[in-house]
Amino acid sequence: MQVVKLKLKTMPKDNVNSFRELDPLLHSQLRLAVMSLLISLEEADFVYLREKTGSTAGNLSVQLDKLSQAKYIEVDKGYSGKKPRTVCRITDTGRKAFEEYLEALKTYIG
Amino acid sequence: MEDKNLTQNESLEIISRMIKETRNNMERGGGNIFLLWGYICLIVSLAVYCLLSNTGDYRFNWLWFAIPVIGYPGMIYMLKKREKGAITIASRVISNIWIVLGIVAGLLSIYMFVDYKAYPIMFVMSLLINSGVAISGLVIRFRPIVVAGFLGILLSFGMLMVAGINQILIFALLAVIMLIIPGHILNNASRKVKAENNA
Repeated sequence: MQVVKLKLKTMPKDNVNSFRELDPLLHSQLRLAVMSLLISLEEADFVYLREKTGSTAGNLSVQLDKLSQAKYIEVDKGYSGKKPRTVCRITDTGRKAFEEYLEALKTYIG
Repeated sequence: MEDKNLTQNESLEIISRMIKETRNNMERGGGNIFLLWGYICLIVSLAVYCLLSNTGDYRFNWLWFAIPVIGYPGMIYMLKKREKGAITIASRVISNIWIVLGIVAGLLSIYMFVDYKAYPIMFVMSLLINSGVAISGLVIRFRPIVVAGFLGILLSFGMLMVAGINQILIFALLAVIMLIIPGHILNNASRKVKAENNA
């Protein structure tokens, strides 16, 4: 599994070993934004996520697929009246991954 | 926003900004439902009071059923019209609380047909609705609604001290305190948040 360690070159050697691995799936601007929105919501639709993150529909769709494949989120494609509506929800796996990401992030700040 | 890697500060900034966005979402449009029920309760209670005090005909009590008859379709229409992009955990909790309170209020009203002296209906209804208001305020952590709810709970006991149709006037006053004033405050707060986000 690919891991990301931040600013390793600039940190003192002693500190490097105390850094926790950051989940590469979450350590990206758009995916982290989506997960941060979903962590405090019961559910959110595609339009809401696009507006709040300021992303393009195409990019968001790709990132949602990645999160969904990792089972971090559930994606339901349905209809609201006659309009298609995609609804996303965070899963227990996603919630746990997000919490672990925050814990790992603390080791870099702390 | 693009798919790029981040520094730790950028990560924290994104997380805090997005969580703040969901907090803002919580209050949007929430005041309108308070206003809908508040104005219906106020108008109906004043109408019933005027008709009863002028005619003495207790059949005008049937007018109370105008509250759910107008209120529920109005609320369903407003909920459908409202921005449905996201459902917060708080809004789901509040909806469920009001569904339960609505069912209890309905059963209490229906039981009045069996025994209209079983309990002081105005007092029980006021206590029930005000408890709902106070719980809703606590869930969304919005102080004006919490204050209105608890003030309403205290005022509900006033119903037990006032006899006859004067209880209806207290009910009308409660509609203003527990629903109309918090509804306007909630909408003002929502407008303020919206203006700050657009600035």
